[in-house]
Amino acid sequence: MKTLLIAALAGVSMLAINSAQAVERGGTLTFARYDDSNLVDPVYADRNPDIWMVTNLYDTLLRTKADGKTIVPGLASGYEVSADGKTISITLRDGIKFSDGSPITAADVKFSLERAVNPDFGPWSGLLGSVESITETKNGVTLSMKNPDPTIISILATFNTAIVSKAAFEAAPGANDQEKATALFAPGTPVSGPFTLKDRTRGSTMTFSANPHYWRQGEDGKPLPYLDEVSFVVIPDDATRILKLQAGEVNGAEFVPFSRVAELKADPAINMELFPSTRIIYAPINARETRADGSPNPMATKEARQALNYATNKGALVQLITHGTGKSMTSPLMASTTQLAHDGGPLYPYDPAKAKELAKSSGLEGAEITLTTLAGSSDDATLFAAIQQMWGAIGVNVKVEQVDNPTRGAKNRSGEFDVHTYGWVNDVNDPAQVAGWLGYYPTRKAVGTGWNNAEFNSLFEASNTEIDPEKRSEQYKRMQEIYRDAAPLLFLYETPFAVALSANVNGYLQTPLGNNEFSSAWIAK
Amino acid sequence: MSSLSYLVSRLLQIIPTFLLVMVVIFLLVRMLPGDPAIAMADAKATEAQLELIRQKLGLNEPLPMQFLYFVKNTLTGDMGTSILLKAPVLEVILERIPVTAFLTIYAVCLSILIAGPLAFVAALNKNGMLDIAIRSGFQVGLSTPVFYIGLLLLTFLAASLRLFPVGGYGTTFLQHLHHLMLPALTVALYTSAIIMRNLRSAVIEVLDAEYVQFARSKGLSRSVILGRHVLRNALISTVTLLGLSIGNLMSGTLVTETVFAVPGLGRLMLEAIFARDYPLIQGLTLTFAVMVSLVFLFTDMVQAWLDPRLRLS
Repeated sequence: MKTLLIAALAGVSMLAINSAQAVERGGTLTFARYDDSNLVDPVYADRNPDIWMVTNLYDTLLRTKADGKTIVPGLASGYEVSADGKTISITLRDGIKFSDGSPITAADVKFSLERAVNPDFGPWSGLLGSVESITETKNGVTLSMKNPDPTIISILATFNTAIVSKAAFEAAPGANDQEKATALFAPGTPVSGPFTLKDRTRGSTMTFSANPHYWRQGEDGKPLPYLDEVSFVVIPDDATRILKLQAGEVNGAEFVPFSRVAELKADPAINMELFPSTRIIYAPINARETRADGSPNPMATKEARQALNYATNKGALVQLITHGTGKSMTSPLMASTTQLAHDGGPLYPYDPAKAKELAKSSGLEGAEITLTTLAGSSDDATLFAAIQQMWGAIGVNVKVEQVDNPTRGAKNRSGEFDVHTYGWVNDVNDPAQVAGWLGYYPTRKAVGTGWNNAEFNSLFEASNTEIDPEKRSEQYKRMQEIYRDAAPLLFLYETPFAVALSANVNGYLQTPLGNNEFSSAWIAK
Repeated sequence: MSSLSYLVSRLLQIIPTFLLVMVVIFLLVRMLPGDPAIAMADAKATEAQLELIRQKLGLNEPLPMQFLYFVKNTLTGDMGTSILLKAPVLEVILERIPVTAFLTIYAVCLSILIAGPLAFVAALNKNGMLDIAIRSGFQVGLSTPVFYIGLLLLTFLAASLRLFPVGGYGTTFLQHLHHLMLPALTVALYTSAIIMRNLRSAVIEVLDAEYVQFARSKGLSRSVILGRHVLRNALISTVTLLGLSIGNLMSGTLVTETVFAVPGLGRLMLEAIFARDYPLIQGLTLTFAVMVSLVFLFTDMVQAWLDPRLRLS
């Protein structure tokens, strides 16, 4: 008995030592990616492999904590919003420097924000549409707004407003801003983020090395990052990426297929992480009165769309497709990790009886519906097989049409579809982007469904200038109620970001927006 | 006809092929469903952003004008800018040619090393146990998908036994040899199956030929007969086949380069197609066309060297 007790105590104290393990500095972390970064620049980054790397090289004025929601100071030590919401004064932190040792000044901030606002530069200027002008102050900048904007603080913590060096842009070769930005995605460019670009071979490798002048402090009281270098290798094939990790050639591999998660979790040499994300998988339902060919649309009524939602067993799909790693959507407009997400419990819980009743009353029974899926996607193939069976039970005959991604995009824009698979990840720490995408008709016809609800649209417009957080939260709650009831989507599930790391890698984070954060990562020797 | 004029006439024949490829690829790319602007811009883009991309690519111009620009630019060495990679197409392709060329040549060498000796062994043991064993082995190689062979090699030789790195390309010549061993072997296993069968029957046929029997009756040694008479004559049809399969082999790199994470032209082609990157697809197809034409030319030259009758006709 005594020995048992001693053994147990020893176990407990070892656990305690483990959890308080001190960070270790130095070393190179090698990381296998599914795709290469083509241009890491705050305003021109337009694909996820580019966007998700920006904040490693360029710091933002404000930052988001790991939860993806809480905003904390970044290069700015603080900000103040005037009572009418039309002036935002930003104070820069003292002593901040670019990686070449030159100071980060108000002029750099003004230059960076003016790039971000410029509609001719990149796809993100719309996020700053409310900004009228930017002026330098003694120790920061002031934003003058056309109208109050509740999203602006979140946008100042978003990659597209990250701070670049004005001097570097002025000295860079190139006839225009984009050419200069392309030229600056090269070794030696002074940057404001935790890492600098050390070298890069297009399509295959990229190396970041620690920025010696970075301002943020680590747990040990010394500046971040802990790592000397991060070395990326591009391995597009999922199975090869995992083999590379298992062979010990890399310390991390991203986008692990969900079917491999359980196996890797069981491997003691691997730390299988499932980071909460803002990714949702859903299927827009054509809600127009008629189909593109002019025939009557059986999904035009909300009852018909509700029937499809009730007939779909999301819990089963979560098991079949995400192997239990995902979860049913609980807000109709966004992932539960998004701010202002209203948790109304799982949406349209599986209810075949109710589905049958609604299908009958709405005239959906006997209809033929085409599900447009991605060719070559095993997830979509599984989804189709399951849905064909589930919807068959309420008298709906499901056909499949397989297309590639560009064709699916074109169909979504032209409205030539019944139901098609789709996914979304937020780029911004605010629900306005996803709500605008999914529900606000003028943005993109409510994700191509053609659903157009006056109350929703005016609530959305009002929420975009509402600076009282409580009122805005109420507006979002109501928008989610309307959207849930109208069901222009087949609400499916949320999935995490699955990243497999060697057991000795600590502190790596993929944020809910997808950003790969290496600044606090370290390797235990 | 002298060797030089033969070479020149064969080179001239490449020009019409090249032009035809330009027409076909121009039309094919435009027949792909899906607006390239939508493919390139991501789903979130607004109509105005799409319009900007269409203008940039000249997609609003009438087709004949687009074709003329394409021909004019290509002839002046300007293949445009890749939308996906945001870099000049020519620059990107030139970066990747050595990788795919290395992989292809490596795979050809391995195919010859594997198929050559085994074909001779099989032919000399015609219908014996050894012959049957060799032929059945290759039959399995032929009927297994390339990506599957690739994954098997990766799992056992790289991940488990750690004899080779899992994918990648390396930086020095020796590293290239080491890194590309498995992808080259994957492709070579398939190609060598085809070559082995052909070379085996060619050797059997030549062994029965009158001139070989004559050589035997002259009392020449077995090695001289096999080396000087049998090999040279049996190789003629095999070289043709090898030349043809290099074309296949290059298209095989689409799969192999993706599985083995080799940054070559094949993988780039796949990415370009998925992104509807018109300039890049066009540039890559032309590059492949030129490479295959040059391989065919080279094959013809080797054949002419092996078989003097071809030079005279």
